[in-house]
Amino acid sequence: MTDEVQRVVIVGSGDGGTFTANLLASELSDEIRGGLASVQLIGEHLDHPFQPANLDIAFKGAAPEKYVKEETDLIRKEVEFIKDPAVKIDFRARTVATKSGRTIGYDYLVIATGAVANPSKIPGLAEGALNFHAGGESSRRIWDALQAFEGGTIIVAIGGTPHKCPPSPNEAAFMLDEFFRKKGIRDRVTIKFLTPYPRPYPAEKISRVVEPLFKERGIEVTTFFNVDSVDPTQRKIYSMEGETFDYDLLIAIPPHHGADVVVNSGIGDEDGYIPTDRGAMRVVGQVGVYCLGDATNIPVSKSGVVAHLQSVVVAHNIAAEMKRSSEFLEYNGRINCPMEVGHHKAIFVSATYTSPPVDQTPSTVKYYMKRSFALIYWRALDGSLERIFDVFFGQTRFPVAEKEAPVRMATASTAPEQGAKQDA
Amino acid sequence: MTDVSATAQHKVVDSRGSFCPGPITDLFKAYRSSQLGDVIELLATDPAAKADVTAWAQKSGNELVGIADEPGYMRITVKITKKR
Repeated sequence: MTDEVQRVVIVGSGDGGTFTANLLASELSDEIRGGLASVQLIGEHLDHPFQPANLDIAFKGAAPEKYVKEETDLIRKEVEFIKDPAVKIDFRARTVATKSGRTIGYDYLVIATGAVANPSKIPGLAEGALNFHAGGESSRRIWDALQAFEGGTIIVAIGGTPHKCPPSPNEAAFMLDEFFRKKGIRDRVTIKFLTPYPRPYPAEKISRVVEPLFKERGIEVTTFFNVDSVDPTQRKIYSMEGETFDYDLLIAIPPHHGADVVVNSGIGDEDGYIPTDRGAMRVVGQVGVYCLGDATNIPVSKSGVVAHLQSVVVAHNIAAEMKRSSEFLEYNGRINCPMEVGHHKAIFVSATYTSPPVDQTPSTVKYYMKRSFALIYWRALDGSLERIFDVFFGQTRFPVAEKEAPVRMATASTAPEQGAKQDA
Repeated sequence: MTDVSATAQHKVVDSRGSFCPGPITDLFKAYRSSQLGDVIELLATDPAAKADVTAWAQKSGNELVGIADEPGYMRITVKITKKR
């Protein structure tokens, strides 16, 4: 450590940003108390939602307010929360500008700005479809529509990839089937699942689980359906490949892109995602700048679990840089996405960069493991459950890479090795 | 009538190192911004890309021009002949 204050600025107060801030506050608590370090978390909203609950809100009628807490109740006291949207990140000046006009300098920057679901990217989608990726309120509109639905065709369509929570479209179809069976009108409802992929789930091993269940439940699958447009008046959805389906209710996963601050700062790729070293989580070509979660361009699932696991790496590596340690962690590509398949059963889509998902059988135990995560999420944000996660994930603590500490303030690349990408 | 051959573009999409569904989704991204007559060359190392692209071309009515084995990867060429 130097005698100067080392300023860590985290942009984005979702799962990854909040957890990273708390981990750093813990790792650097002595330095922060001694005035040698600071951790500032810049966020747009005071409300912090548990996003996986959107499925429960949409298809089980859960109350959105049950899954929201205030950000200030979730962060350690050492963290300064700045509720003021970031509007510009300037790598050269090493500053973040906010909407209110503040300019905040940093020595270390963490970009955790997430991904944005944007129905307006497809003509007619915003007007013609409901979705559960844009938050609790939009999810609630699905539940309201289901209450009034007495029969007809419901389409679940994937409007763009990548999107948050890869299993969620499949879960939506399973949960719709369960909802209408319980309501006693399943025979009056046709459920269609439209996907751009060659199979019901992109990873073949997982598709082998999903496909027979879809068949058994009467969920009709159309593959290679890339949504071109929607006619909300005629209630038709069109694919680029030339297929058309009529619908009575359309639930579509909107195309996603990176956050506005990334796009407007010109630091993302063509979709607004940040080019990021898939191991050390450093932003390519930058020093002391990290990115995690949905904001990266790393081809792994955009999910809270991934953001959580990457936060461990980012917080450790920033602390290591500050303390001139040569021990760095590397994210190993671990994903662990639960998929509810209806009737109190679930599977977990688990993989790493080098281990693709494996065959598995849906189980009630996995269903309750998924449900329990909604209860422990808030405590997980302060890091106190990491020992449990170590047991659960088996390999949360990633291999330590013995490396030279990156040269501070240099222009050298962080040597990204963007080799094998991952099946999700 | 527009002469598509005069305006057709040739795009190369490099998906080497990416596993399913990476190559096919990279192809779809190029397809979304393509016009009729465009040619897309998909470079892929994932063996599944061959079957996926062949199945997609067959279903959608686009033309699979060829699949060539290059040192360490495949070059899959598609001509866009069907697009809404």
